[in-house]
Amino acid sequence: MKSHTPRGRILTAVAVVTVLVFTLFPAFLMVSMAVDSQASAGKRSLLPTSFTLDHFSFVVDEGQFGTYLRNSLVVAVCTVLASGVLALLAAVAVSRFRFRFRTSVLVMILIVQMVPVEALVIPLFIQARDLNLLNRLLGLVVVYLAFSLPIAIWMLRGFVAAVPKEIEEAAYVDGASWSRMFWSILMPLVAPGLVAVSVFSFIIAWNEFTFALTFNTDADPERYTAAVGLRRFFGQYGNNWGAIMAGSTLITLPVMLFFVVVQRRLSTGLVAGAVKG
Amino acid sequence: MAIVLLYPLVRVVVLSFQDFGLRELNLGGAEWIGFANYHQIFADPRLWEIVLPNTVVFALVNVVLTVGVGTVVALLLFRLGPWLRGFVTTAIMMAWAIPAVTGTYVWIFIFDSRRGPAIRLLDSLGLVDADATNWFDDRLTFYVIATLNVVHHGFPFVAITVLAGLMTIPKDVLEASTIDGAGGWKRFWYITAPMLKPVFAVVTILSTIWDFKVFVQIFLMPGGDGINRDVFNLATWSYVTAFGQGNRFGLGSAIAVSLTLVLIVITTFYIRYLFREEEL
Repeated sequence: MKSHTPRGRILTAVAVVTVLVFTLFPAFLMVSMAVDSQASAGKRSLLPTSFTLDHFSFVVDEGQFGTYLRNSLVVAVCTVLASGVLALLAAVAVSRFRFRFRTSVLVMILIVQMVPVEALVIPLFIQARDLNLLNRLLGLVVVYLAFSLPIAIWMLRGFVAAVPKEIEEAAYVDGASWSRMFWSILMPLVAPGLVAVSVFSFIIAWNEFTFALTFNTDADPERYTAAVGLRRFFGQYGNNWGAIMAGSTLITLPVMLFFVVVQRRLSTGLVAGAVKG
Repeated sequence: MAIVLLYPLVRVVVLSFQDFGLRELNLGGAEWIGFANYHQIFADPRLWEIVLPNTVVFALVNVVLTVGVGTVVALLLFRLGPWLRGFVTTAIMMAWAIPAVTGTYVWIFIFDSRRGPAIRLLDSLGLVDADATNWFDDRLTFYVIATLNVVHHGFPFVAITVLAGLMTIPKDVLEASTIDGAGGWKRFWYITAPMLKPVFAVVTILSTIWDFKVFVQIFLMPGGDGINRDVFNLATWSYVTAFGQGNRFGLGSAIAVSLTLVLIVITTFYIRYLFREEEL
């Protein structure tokens, strides 16, 4: 479907450039500010006037950003591990075994995905308070697990369903038990899906803001996740833009790397789960 | 999962019928007040003049823009050669990958009242006075900035999904229509769009749900956390009512339940559609 007229080619080129500028501009500006020594004095140009890593060392040393990042990492990794195991088992159950309520479980997963986080934050806050889970990273892990599971099951279901039943049956004929079949046949075939789902859960936990803010009632900096900790550079240091952008860059980089690395799997996984049914 | 997700749903509905504040949180026990919270919300002129228009108009504009921009970008990607397509797709993925929190901060900086590049540019052109302008004070400009942020963050999902759909259309169908004399415009409306109806339904409904409950992007903008009451949407209003001064958890819950009901109606259409299309 390529255009062959010169006018069409120019139009396409202009469109591509427009899309690239619109998509990349915020990320570019963020990094450009983060390494600009003049960032907080007021920025004259879009390119950094002079290169510096001072903002990074400032946020990590004085801004305690290292602690925030570690908190975020702990929460995200725990969420990924737990949701990977649970989602895989649930996805196999939903796509392989026919049981009563199978459809209602799927519908429930969808409904829960649509419920706004803001409707859950009030009751979960009270609940976490009663269970003594406020101001603890564990409380956040439990909540993020619950949020990432529906999507993880939904996506993995597509991957599990894509494995032909005949392959499994062949393994049984060859004398494999269910667990042997699961580990030797199903697992390697679903592994790409599991990677995509893990990345998805990681990003949910890493980026989450509302609960991380609400559950930290003590406002104890030792328990801030990175997304919430970033807020401190607003009031305390009077909109220190260089620091804010350096912190933003530190938060964004791992997510961006993950996205680019698994982009193909992520998009096919989403489509397989959401559209093909 | 049922405990963590379904129980709170029941609890939030219960809370919305109670007078539940800080005292009840600390001492336990809460008084049932029936629909009083809902009466208070629906009798509040702020709901009709500010919160509801902010939520609904914002959601509609953003859904149209997100799906529109996403579709145009998908059609563009479809025309490109494999190398360039991969490159632009990666760039789009990067826009998607920026977390809502950091993305919002960048947009705030771009439109910052004193240092932002946008206001400086217009100031140097003599169009606005940088010292006297604060776009975050005004409801309209506040939401224009939020719209840029949300569309920028939301269109990649639409573009990638629609592109995946475009790939499934058999090439000979498009070629046949070209031979029959259909131009690009006609080809899109008579061939592509009808064949991709399920894909468009999914991205439209998901975008609608996401744009109705936008919270972080609004909350983090200057004034969005309750200081400027003109820019409340349903989500931030609910949150600030419950966790801001006064801690009226019951009233906040009633707002949250109302928002959820709106979303459930939309979700029902979504599920109905999926069920009609194919067996789940």
